[in-house]
Amino acid sequence: MATLEVKDLHVKAKEEEKEILTGVNLKMTTGEIHAIMGPNGTGKSTLSETIMGNPNYEVLKGDILINGQSIIGLPVDQRARAGLFLAMQYPAEIPGITNAEFIRAAINSRRAEDDQMPIPAFLKKLDHTLKTLDMTEEMSERYLNEGFSGGEKKRNEILQLMMIEPKFAILDEIDSGLDIDALKVVSRGVNAMRGPKFGSLIITHYQRLLNYIKPDVVHVMMGGKIVKSGDAELAVKLEDEGYAGLRDELGLDVKLVDEE
Amino acid sequence: MTVEMQTDQDIKKYAQQVDEPQWFTSMRLKAQQEVEDLTLPNFQKIQYHSWPINATRKLEVGDHRLTDEKLVTEQANIVQIGSKVIQKDLPQEFMDKGVIVCDWATALKKHSELVEKYFMTMATEPTENRLNAEHVAHLTSGLLIYVPKNVILKHPLTSYFFQDARQSRDYVHHLLLIADRGSEVSYLENTGTIGTKPCPANIIEEVIAEPDSHIKFASVDRLGENTTAYLNRRGYLKRNARIDWSMGMMNDGNIVGDFDSELVGEASHAEVKVVAISTGDQVQGIDTRVTNYGQHSLGNILQHGVILARSSLIFNGIGHIIHGARGAEAQQESRVLMLSTKARGDANPILLIDDNDVVAGHAASVGRVDEQKMYYLMSRGVDKKTAERLVIRGFLGPVLSALPSKEVRKVLADMIERKLVNGQKDE
Ligand SMILES: Nc1ncnc2c1ncn2[C@@H]1O[C@H](COP(=O)(O)OP(=O)(O)O)[C@@H](O)[C@H]1O
Ligand SMILES: [Mg+2]
Repeated sequence: MATLEVKDLHVKAKEEEKEILTGVNLKMTTGEIHAIMGPNGTGKSTLSETIMGNPNYEVLKGDILINGQSIIGLPVDQRARAGLFLAMQYPAEIPGITNAEFIRAAINSRRAEDDQMPIPAFLKKLDHTLKTLDMTEEMSERYLNEGFSGGEKKRNEILQLMMIEPKFAILDEIDSGLDIDALKVVSRGVNAMRGPKFGSLIITHYQRLLNYIKPDVVHVMMGGKIVKSGDAELAVKLEDEGYAGLRDELGLDVKLVDEE
Repeated sequence: MTVEMQTDQDIKKYAQQVDEPQWFTSMRLKAQQEVEDLTLPNFQKIQYHSWPINATRKLEVGDHRLTDEKLVTEQANIVQIGSKVIQKDLPQEFMDKGVIVCDWATALKKHSELVEKYFMTMATEPTENRLNAEHVAHLTSGLLIYVPKNVILKHPLTSYFFQDARQSRDYVHHLLLIADRGSEVSYLENTGTIGTKPCPANIIEEVIAEPDSHIKFASVDRLGENTTAYLNRRGYLKRNARIDWSMGMMNDGNIVGDFDSELVGEASHAEVKVVAISTGDQVQGIDTRVTNYGQHSLGNILQHGVILARSSLIFNGIGHIIHGARGAEAQQESRVLMLSTKARGDANPILLIDDNDVVAGHAASVGRVDEQKMYYLMSRGVDKKTAERLVIRGFLGPVLSALPSKEVRKVLADMIERKLVNGQKDE
């Protein structure tokens, strides 16, 4: 069992002054699925990117730990090899390298020089995973995300996730821009990963995704910190009452970008 | 360093020693006389005038014996060290179809008329600039390739030219490749250096495409770190002829590359693809020109380069359309990618248009590695250097994927990887 812990995390963007995260606390273990819900602009992506190690963000205070070890000083690639994965809201497009080639390079980066994944084993796993995600083989031969539609990019993030098998996967709005069928496919992928060796932090604006991937814990984030945690019921309640309702109930002084 | 100048007497002595034809010796003597009055060629933004690039040493028959170097493991048809051929193994088809492939001494002896007709008479001239004149006066090695009329060769010809820098000496080397009317040939050349003595290299390669011929010319240049080189490649294209250039500039030392295509014939066509990687402290200046003389001639330049560490890479792209070349077209794209803050890069498009009824265009850029891309790749676990190489591969992709031959693409991709891995050690 592995743990991921965020302690009193304060973060700002590199070029800016303002604190975006104002003291986030969170602890999870493999085997669990946590959801973070929150209004737009509240810092959900900032939290995911900071955990992953995006150099655009600066930690002002607090810590991020895997199995009790701080990872704050590690560059992004080392965090990845330590077991973190972030399915990004806006994945980059990289021409010149195919999806399949890249995934193999990513898998092999975790293995010793003399223990690289044999190609037949890789292809077998790739084939199987593509099928789970209703993706064609052709998509694995295309350049990494190049010219992919929004939905294809999301699927491709899950493909990489399933191939790499990280300890902890953060999914940042994996549901945005997906129709209901695509949503089901993506959820099928994540659910296939569920098990004692895998933990996931699912970030979403809407409760809908959580109908397909049942979370063990739901956190609500507002104004740059987690303001309430509960079980799956909390998400349903939030859907009914809206973020404004919860804010007022908690008596928080937070301005919502798009009051709903 | 004071070098004793080469005298006319030295030239005559050498000529006697190697028994070269009179006309060639006369050409040498004339070139030698001109050297002092000629200036180095100028290339925009390429500052090389203070480099030790001049060929000055007296002509001599070099001893290029091999001790224990294993030079060639890949399939090669011709391997030359200095002036000496150490391996010659031509495809049967070449013999059957009367193709001539021979070293320079043999070319002058056995094919004197052919050489006299083409040697620096069309594509370039001995007195065009000082380096050309030095070339003629000091030339000791080379290769002649002649493909007879209407001969279509299926097998490519692969050559390796090694500069022998185990001793201090000038490497002055010439390639004369002639594709006669209606012929087709594919040629892959590899240049390299053995030894580490600082030496100049003066290489001129003339590629003559007679009417309706088609030449695929590919090269991987890997001259050594201590070599200062002038590499002049000239295509001369007659009516309806075509040359596809695919060049990989993977040298480790300072070099000026002058890659020109003279589109003389009507509807002649040159495709020029260059990929270059600069590493360490080296400077690579590459001046690529297409000149349209012929009506409806077409010249396309596509060059992409990557700059690591403290090195420099300059790409000039010149599209020159001469008055009267109606319906001609010249297009070019030059891009460089810098990987370090100490790298220096330039991409200069130069269009000289003397006719109205033509099409010309250019694109150029100098950029740095996209941080977002790097972050994305690294977030999957690949380390920084690997991620850089992946981004670079993507950057060079448009040139590589446009190369006409799969084999060349593979050879170049391997060389690129190798040069990058080496270059990254010095970041
Ligand atoms: N790189 C950045 N530079 C400047 N401001 C940023 C940056 N990233 C996020 N922000 C700001 O921080 C706040 C939170 O953004 P984000 O983390 O994307 O929120 P969410 O994902 O919850 O919608 C927003 O006001 C956003 O404009
Ligand atoms: Mg977001």
